[in-house]
Amino acid sequence: MFAEQVLRSTGRGRRGRERLVMILCLLAGAISILPLGLVLFYLLVEGLKAWSPAFLVSPPGGGITTTGGGAANAIVGTLMMTGLGLLIATPTGLAVALYTAEYREGRLAIIVRTAVDLVAGIPSIVIGLFVYSVVVLTMHHFSGLAGAIALSLIMLPIIARTSEEMFKIVPRRMREGTMALAMPRWRAITSVYIPTVASGIMTGIVLAVSRAVGETAPLLFTALGSSFVVTDLNRPMSALPLYMFQNALNIGFPAARERAWAAALTLVAIVLVFNVLGRWLASRTGTRLK
Amino acid sequence: MSVEEPEMAMAVEQIAIQVRPRVDPTPDLDAVGQTVPSMDAAIDVQHLNAYYGAKQAVRDVTFTARQRAVTAIIGPSGSGKSTVLRSLNRMLEVVPSARIEGQILFHGIDIYGREIDPAAVRRTIGMVFQQPNPFPTMSIYDNVVAAARFNGLVKGRAQSDELVERSLRQAALWDEVKDSLAKSGASLSGGQQQRLCIARALAVNPEAILMDEPCSALDPIATLQIEQLARDLAQSYAILIVTHNMQQAARVSDDTVFMSVDEQRAGYVVEIGPTSRIFTNPLNKTTEDYITGRFG
Repeated sequence: MFAEQVLRSTGRGRRGRERLVMILCLLAGAISILPLGLVLFYLLVEGLKAWSPAFLVSPPGGGITTTGGGAANAIVGTLMMTGLGLLIATPTGLAVALYTAEYREGRLAIIVRTAVDLVAGIPSIVIGLFVYSVVVLTMHHFSGLAGAIALSLIMLPIIARTSEEMFKIVPRRMREGTMALAMPRWRAITSVYIPTVASGIMTGIVLAVSRAVGETAPLLFTALGSSFVVTDLNRPMSALPLYMFQNALNIGFPAARERAWAAALTLVAIVLVFNVLGRWLASRTGTRLK
Repeated sequence: MSVEEPEMAMAVEQIAIQVRPRVDPTPDLDAVGQTVPSMDAAIDVQHLNAYYGAKQAVRDVTFTARQRAVTAIIGPSGSGKSTVLRSLNRMLEVVPSARIEGQILFHGIDIYGREIDPAAVRRTIGMVFQQPNPFPTMSIYDNVVAAARFNGLVKGRAQSDELVERSLRQAALWDEVKDSLAKSGASLSGGQQQRLCIARALAVNPEAILMDEPCSALDPIATLQIEQLARDLAQSYAILIVTHNMQQAARVSDDTVFMSVDEQRAGYVVEIGPTSRIFTNPLNKTTEDYITGRFG
């Protein structure tokens, strides 16, 4: 009988192919994780040589040939410039996203969206040059402020685009709900849409920070770097990528090389902490999109 | 289930600066069937044509929905039931390509009049949707009170508490949620969510409620609860309910508007009348075929 044929035939061939595909997927997964694992492994092995709690809180000491000395200048600079950059980029990016997603009537929204995409595509060193010519040349000196502005330009398009995508997935029935209740649009945005997609916006912010915190090029001609622990945003500042760059340039000197690795480890740790923090915050906002 | 008399806070005045003397709309229905008495009309729809772009979705719809009564709009898919319903509180124009012709009067006021604010229309004529859509990030309490607060209807904790309790009682949900008002609106069951949405609509003090297939996502028990609620609310409000469930229309409504779809795929009204007559003694062959399940 035909039915019997069908019932008895489903067995081996299909299950074998199924297993093959699964093994291939696992293999591909393993291959893609391998570089990440190797990088982290190398980072830990090399980074821990010069790393100590003191490395985090000490200013750089001695010369390129001597061991010791910390990266406090770079850590403070990174935190301050990324923080200020984030303070600039988040409200601006969110405003741009609201404009392009919610108030998109007319051609201007398309122009704004295209402009944001263009900024996202500009090489970061060009952003550094731009801020150099606009901020540094105007102020006549390098500064943490210029560095923060450069970083904010890196973060802004990421925040704007991810937030815009988030606003776009606010379900139609939710929009209709706010309209049928005669909620003013800005109220609907602030009290319904933003809370609903907050975790997505947070993910965008985390991505933006992760990207900006590791940037070297935009800081080269803006923050410049400094061997002192500086908290004045009006003065040149160091940052972890700059610190790594400057130490790694002295490739023949093991002490400097180890400091570069230790700074790299610290940088990755900061990114990791920020990621976990951001995810935790995002999960707390309790988004439930069905 | 108790329905408290809502404060009819002169909602009519909310939608118009000037109340025009009401013209008695002697509805010259080309559709067959007796018309509902127009003396207590809440909503008069006069020669409504609706279009999406160039496509005509609804052709020459005329009917009256009475105050303190449930009017059911029934008909097969594509007959424009929802389009008609959404034009009654100006939710249709949210669709960029949508456009209407004709006149819709709410207690004699043209809701498409030049001086009329669509938001005021939507406040006066509330709407409940097919899918329950409580705001997922808001508590049950905030779901009810948010729109009322944003519209300046309540101020302060005491007024809010009172409004929340009154609205939830009207929606027959109070007893089930009174101890968990701080919980998320999304934590409720589907039927409870729909009643929350009804409470939310009642909280902005409307005079009529439009229900767009409010039970199509609900189980039979939740459906019966919503139907009972619609009956209760009809003691105080004009209720219009779109449904493709004929038993529901028969159970819940006083008047029925039966729509069908023509060869150009535009919806039109076939027959209007008291529900009891439409379902027992339809005058039109199409109506009879539909309610006896021969098409649609």
